[in-house]
Amino acid sequence: MADRSIRIGGLTLKNPIIAASGCFGFGEEYNEFYDVARLGGVCTKGLTRRPREGNPPPRVFETPCGLLNSIGLQNPGVDAFIREELPMMKEMGLVVIANVWAECAEEYGEAVEILSRSAVDVIEINISCPNVPGQVIVGAQAQQAAEVVRRCRSLCDKPLWVKLPPTAQIDAAQAVEEQGADAICAVNTFRGLAIDIETGRPIFANTFAGLSGPAIRPLALQVVYQLAAAVEIPVIGIGGITSWQDAVEFIMAGAHAVQIGTANFIDPLASMKIVEGLQQFMEDRRLHSWEEIRGCAHEGSPL
Amino acid sequence: MAEIAVRTASVLHNKHIAPNVFRLEVEGSFRAKPGQFYMLRSWRHDPLLFRPMSVFDRTEESLSFLCATRGRGTDLLSRLSAGDGLTLLGPLGNGWERIDERIALIGGGTGIAPLYYTAKYFAAKDRSAAIDIYLGFRGRPFLQEEFAQVAQRVYRSSESGEGGEEGLITEIFNPSGYDTCYACGPPAMLAALSKVCQGAGIPLFVSLEERIACGIGACLGCAVRTRKGMKRVCKDGPVFRAEEVFFDG
Ligand SMILES: Cc1cc2nc3c(=O)[nH]c(=O)nc-3n(C[C@H](O)[C@H](O)[C@H](O)COP(=O)(O)OP(=O)(O)OC[C@H]3O[C@@H](n4cnc5c(N)ncnc54)[C@H](O)[C@@H]3O)c2cc1C
Ligand SMILES: Cc1cc2nc3c(=O)[nH]c(=O)nc-3n(C[C@H](O)[C@H](O)[C@H](O)COP(=O)(O)O)c2cc1C
Ligand code: FES
Repeated sequence: MADRSIRIGGLTLKNPIIAASGCFGFGEEYNEFYDVARLGGVCTKGLTRRPREGNPPPRVFETPCGLLNSIGLQNPGVDAFIREELPMMKEMGLVVIANVWAECAEEYGEAVEILSRSAVDVIEINISCPNVPGQVIVGAQAQQAAEVVRRCRSLCDKPLWVKLPPTAQIDAAQAVEEQGADAICAVNTFRGLAIDIETGRPIFANTFAGLSGPAIRPLALQVVYQLAAAVEIPVIGIGGITSWQDAVEFIMAGAHAVQIGTANFIDPLASMKIVEGLQQFMEDRRLHSWEEIRGCAHEGSPL
Repeated sequence: MAEIAVRTASVLHNKHIAPNVFRLEVEGSFRAKPGQFYMLRSWRHDPLLFRPMSVFDRTEESLSFLCATRGRGTDLLSRLSAGDGLTLLGPLGNGWERIDERIALIGGGTGIAPLYYTAKYFAAKDRSAAIDIYLGFRGRPFLQEEFAQVAQRVYRSSESGEGGEEGLITEIFNPSGYDTCYACGPPAMLAALSKVCQGAGIPLFVSLEERIACGIGACLGCAVRTRKGMKRVCKDGPVFRAEEVFFDG
């Protein structure tokens, strides 16, 4: 009997498919299409200490096989999330991964401390959002990333995952590992730009936006491949995955699990279909566990 | 509320109606309230997303959309022919709820699309309803006989002056005498209507457009700031009370 589950730190997920932050609301909408508890876990929209309205429209713009977004972290804040959304998510039977963003290490700590006392299962520290005016992406710098993770780790006993930007260097991932992260999630969106050629101005009020979808998949896969070789803790692969075949590719590059974002917009059933496709793949290949193929692409390679 | 589902259906007709305007009809029994929309796609990953289209008409056997060709997605939809497959996600959005006796439906550009089924549905639901339709076209008006069948009176304007009163539909429309007004069209038209309806103290519901990604309320890609906070056009809307909307952005 194949064991489809995976272990990340002290936590067991029933399968390696997780809904990505910002692409799945709080799970409720997709639960109308299928039982979302069949997924390994669900990441919440990025949460902040206080509520945020986010950026003005337009917030999304399509590019060839890709999607630029500039949502700007619209969210109810951690307190309202815990009060109004979390009970519903737990009732649905979900493994809840709370995605958290803040402006500085101090504020990350405040939000994480509040969440660590709630029923969330995992805290995913987002140090990689490209959509906040005037903010640098902390996760790109090893020292800043380490400072945020150190602060959060000292305030929280729950599993702590750290979500890195695609530009993160290996030293940032290693610094995060050193500070006690349980897993690394890679990648967040790539910074992109679109210009309205009628007006000559950027499409988005915040100029830059985050690129996701199939367009980024080979780029994300390359990052995951390198990080998996550079750290001991599990890497969770994200970026442009739309099918079970794509998910297998990330596992073979060394990912323990994967997150599905934009694919949910292409087909609301996408995440569940990937769960089913992976199960079939395991049976066809007579795999006993994911370990048998995890990272197999590295064998005999110079990295 | 009808359940949201992903379905594939085959195209019955795809008719060219006016320059860059087509009517796409698919086979099957679909549920939808007036003012709701479906997300359509007839491709895999390119374009990436579905394209939102309001319900133009619905019968027991079919569902149709009135579409303007804008970019790649609508161009691909315009090329579908009978027998081709189409994937539909819906019905989506809140739709138009209240019915009063005397109703004005005002549409501009492709904003006229949801008005046909709205008039037909309201008239079937309440025989005493008196429904007038105001249609603003850029060029030569179209679908005149169709609209005449579902409304008491149909008023038309054309910016080019061809086949209708020359000018904007907002120059013809007067809200007095109506209990409720419903409007769909460009933001400037909605803003002008909001002003006159507010002045006359007559409730106005407007259907807004934003760029849509998921279509079901999960991504916040379509959110707009309203007097009642951030709202998702695809889920909390597309229909809003005009007083809640900030028309100046
Ligand atoms: C709820 C809703 C209902 C709609 N109902 C109808 C309808 O009944 N008939 C109809 O003809 N059109 C309708 N539209 C607009 C229609 O969805 C867009 O014209 C279409 O998505 C453009 O796709 P494209 O690939 O052809 O153009 P693109 O190449 O994507 O873009 C061309 C132009 O269309 C505009 N556009 C692109 N995407 C959207 C979007 N999601 N919403 C609004 N504008 C967009 C852009 O501003 C751009 O200038 C509706 C939109 C919404 C949000
Ligand atoms: C509309 C949208 C909103 C997003 N919001 C968040 C967010 O709040 N926090 C976060 O860490 N990542 C966010 N992301 C990034 C995704 O979680 C994911 O990392 C990225 O989209 C790449 O995966 P994909 O190609 O499968 O979508 C968002 C992505 C999209 C498209
Ligand atoms: S388009 Fe995703 S919330 Fe409306």
